[in-house]
Amino acid sequence: MSRTVTGTGATPLSDVGTVRWYRPDESLPETTDAGTPEEERANFEDAKETAREEIEAERERTRDLVGEDEAGVFDAHLQFLADPQIEASVEDGIDDGLAATAAVREAFADPIAQFESMDGMMAERADDLRDVRNRLVRILAGSERIDLSALPAGTILLAERLTPSDTAQLDPSRVAGFATVEGGRTSHAAIFARSLGIPAVVGAGAGIEDIQEGTEVVIDGNAGEIIVDPDEAVRADAASGRDVEIHTDAVETTDGVSIEVAANVGTPAEIESAVEHGADGIGLFRTEFLFFNRESPPSEDEQYEAIAETLSAFPDGRVVVRTLDIGGDKPIPYLDQAPEENPFLGERGIRRSLDSDADLFRTQLRALMRAAASEHGDGLSVMFPLVSTVDELDRALEAVDEVAADLEEAGVEWARPEFGVMVETPSAVFMAEELATRVDFFSIGTNDLTQYVMATSRENDRISYLHDPRHPAVLRAIHRIVQVGHEHDCWVGMCGEMAGDPTLLKLLVGLGLDELSMSAITIPDVKAGVAATSHADAATLASDALAATTISDITQLLNQ
Amino acid sequence: MERTVTVVPEDGLHARPAASFVEAAGEYDSEITIAPADGDAVNAQSMLAVTSLGVASGDDVVLTAEGADAEAALDALEAILTTPEDSA
Repeated sequence: MSRTVTGTGATPLSDVGTVRWYRPDESLPETTDAGTPEEERANFEDAKETAREEIEAERERTRDLVGEDEAGVFDAHLQFLADPQIEASVEDGIDDGLAATAAVREAFADPIAQFESMDGMMAERADDLRDVRNRLVRILAGSERIDLSALPAGTILLAERLTPSDTAQLDPSRVAGFATVEGGRTSHAAIFARSLGIPAVVGAGAGIEDIQEGTEVVIDGNAGEIIVDPDEAVRADAASGRDVEIHTDAVETTDGVSIEVAANVGTPAEIESAVEHGADGIGLFRTEFLFFNRESPPSEDEQYEAIAETLSAFPDGRVVVRTLDIGGDKPIPYLDQAPEENPFLGERGIRRSLDSDADLFRTQLRALMRAAASEHGDGLSVMFPLVSTVDELDRALEAVDEVAADLEEAGVEWARPEFGVMVETPSAVFMAEELATRVDFFSIGTNDLTQYVMATSRENDRISYLHDPRHPAVLRAIHRIVQVGHEHDCWVGMCGEMAGDPTLLKLLVGLGLDELSMSAITIPDVKAGVAATSHADAATLASDALAATTISDITQLLNQ
Repeated sequence: MERTVTVVPEDGLHARPAASFVEAAGEYDSEITIAPADGDAVNAQSMLAVTSLGVASGDDVVLTAEGADAEAALDALEAILTTPEDSA
């Protein structure tokens, strides 16, 4: 009989595997025999050096995989390792005749207890101290580290908690998933799981503690469930989402139509993940991340560097950069954003770039046009968000011309990238001909397009049935954009969530999209799906869908 | 030498800002302490001591430094305490 334990889903992924329990505290030796104080002091010094090297390596790996913020916790570990109070206390213990292992345990005991008795962030410091203590004791006792980077493939790791140093070792090609007793969606473990694309459930509570080593379980990171002894259907369903081969080459349908499969990125770590998941390029580079979490806007040079670096990650591919898209639900503290009655219909996207953020916009255009002249700059495409009138596009392109003239006059190297419109408003759909004659491409943002076509807030659960991109009205809007774009030699892509939905892939291929851009983790599935789809069959499906009247008609067609 | 500083990083003197603070303090030869407005001074070169103060954003702290490089040390530490975390 299968049973289910519920926790908090950390990633929208699921997989099946075999349970292995990770109990580092149990494998930690209590103490060792004491040598002379001189010997023990030397042991302690050596152990600190080894620990420092380990922590620095984990810091590096974390920074590369997840980002500087998460890596910062290892700086705290390095400081605890070198703490004069702890050092003095260990040395006192050794002078009293203790082995270094015992002296380390004693020296950490009080500080750990002290932090444990406090709330919130202070309690997390107890975890950091335990992490440092365990590392020192393990090294001093010469015991083997449980190597989390070398688990058998298909392991589902269960643990009381996973510390930053544990998660930094996880190898996503071996760990099929993990579940922890403690932790929330913002714990280190959960953040890592998302960055590495590992199915994970955190904060599952004591319910997982009696799951035996070697049991087969499904981790459903979407529902936040651990399903013990799953039946065949559940197991097959969970397994189908993983173990998909990474296709690094471009893919085409069975009848030879090429579809570019690209990634949406909003952090530096996602760029690496895009490369790892075989993205052909970047279909949506959200420049906002360069602006968040700071006190002033990034300089032209900083933006140039970030864009040129991304271009060099895809030397043969295309990188579509969206100019600053703030407003609505995306506040940036140092920009002047007055509260609005209805922010989603307010001053956002290109509207701000042409008005209150005009200077930022020009700085960004300068960085972009310089990047277009950099080594891999011919892959650069730039799109303007939330364009709703031809006049807005004309003004944006005028700004481009002015910036180009400035760069030329200043003798700065520049080039003109491709320019395009991110199609998100019904007015852009209706004005598609006029827009298409002015740009090189369209990219359809389906989340906002659906919201505006259906007059349905994305945030309102009571009417979520209306926020469905499968509605014929949305499909007809997409169809129109593709048709008009192609008539005017514009390529047409899609960068909303719809693009990464495997159940809609055939329909999107049939509608004639040239490019689909999505979260990196879904790229292998979509590439495999494209390679298995016949464009001719897909076109028939699309034409039936365009003739349909209701969502349920479309659902029926998709299920056939 | 003494200086009162208002702590700016949003997380106060916790893991990451505390680590940069302690690391910087360790680079100077001066004896450096940090004290909350109404509390006892502790060794600014000890991560354990600094984090256990539980200093929050907006709190005032008193820095003291004694030694040849005291002034430079206070300047550097004040800069860290008044720089928002993510642009540090």
